[in-house]
Amino acid sequence: MTLSLRNIEAEDPPAAKPRKVVDGGFLVLLAFTLAGGALVAVQYGVSRVGEITAETVWFIGLLSPKIASGIFIAATLPMLLPRDRVARWIGRESGVRGLVMATACGAALPGGPMMTFPLAAGLVGSGADLGATVAFVSGWSLLGLNRTLIWEFSFLPADLVWVRYLVCLPMPILLGIAARRLLRMRSP
Amino acid sequence: MNILVGTLLIGVAAIWLWSRLPNAAWRAASYRAALDTLYFTSPRILVALLGAGFFAELLPEQQVRALLGRDAGLLAVGLAILLGPLTPGGAFVSFAIAAAALKAGAAPVPAIAYVTSWALFSTTKIFAYELAFMGRQLTLTRILVSLPVPFVVAALAAQLL
Repeated sequence: MTLSLRNIEAEDPPAAKPRKVVDGGFLVLLAFTLAGGALVAVQYGVSRVGEITAETVWFIGLLSPKIASGIFIAATLPMLLPRDRVARWIGRESGVRGLVMATACGAALPGGPMMTFPLAAGLVGSGADLGATVAFVSGWSLLGLNRTLIWEFSFLPADLVWVRYLVCLPMPILLGIAARRLLRMRSP
Repeated sequence: MNILVGTLLIGVAAIWLWSRLPNAAWRAASYRAALDTLYFTSPRILVALLGAGFFAELLPEQQVRALLGRDAGLLAVGLAILLGPLTPGGAFVSFAIAAAALKAGAAPVPAIAYVTSWALFSTTKIFAYELAFMGRQLTLTRILVSLPVPFVVAALAAQLL
């Protein structure tokens, strides 16, 4: 069985949903950064703030092809692969096979929590069990490919990233099994 | 080198996805969605990375080495796991902080424990999204079964590194 993209030749593309750029989370982040910048200025002088800013802008420039590709994937994949379809596809499977599939989907899907959790909630509605839902969320959290390829490898030493990824590989499946056990214990 | 390999992999995936768009209307919609996402994401990336840079500068190396260095042992792993959920913001913030801590003298195993703990228990993710979409019971179940994971990951990583 394969997960085919939607047959979309005849359909219209989905309408865009605008998001608020400045929200609470962004303001908190901004406050942290301004406070950090002020502390650096007090301790090491304003010129050090300028140096760090220049280094950061250079680093973002270096990463920009990766960031741009990642943003394109995160924006386009949900158009081609709508939520309810992925949810139905995972919901059909059961047993360990269902957990493996849910983990793989979680690892492969790009995007932040505003995309993952609505999809995970849709899983429950499509007949996936609690174990598959936990495996999906954990697969995205621990093994998300977009995040590891764009950010983790850019910041951390490669051997460290490989070791973490390798060790985390079986975890979502084990967590799915544990969640199933726990649920069975609670409701015999 | 790391950056180049990642760029190539992600780039190939993006080109493949682009080739799946059936016609001009879909391509236009995809560009619009990508621009919207860029508009939403880029200020966050800039502000988060600047903040991480400032924080790295402020990290007291002596304390980092004492609390998170090789000699701190299990205590370092425990502290790293506690700090994970408290990290605000997205993935780049936690990775940037881990990188800064490594530079300041933290050992690799606590860095792995920190990143793993952030990935599983980030309070921003849990409170802003998971509880709202998944409900209390599912969220608590996931957290409960996941509690041992950062410790197990740290123990296994210590064998491999």
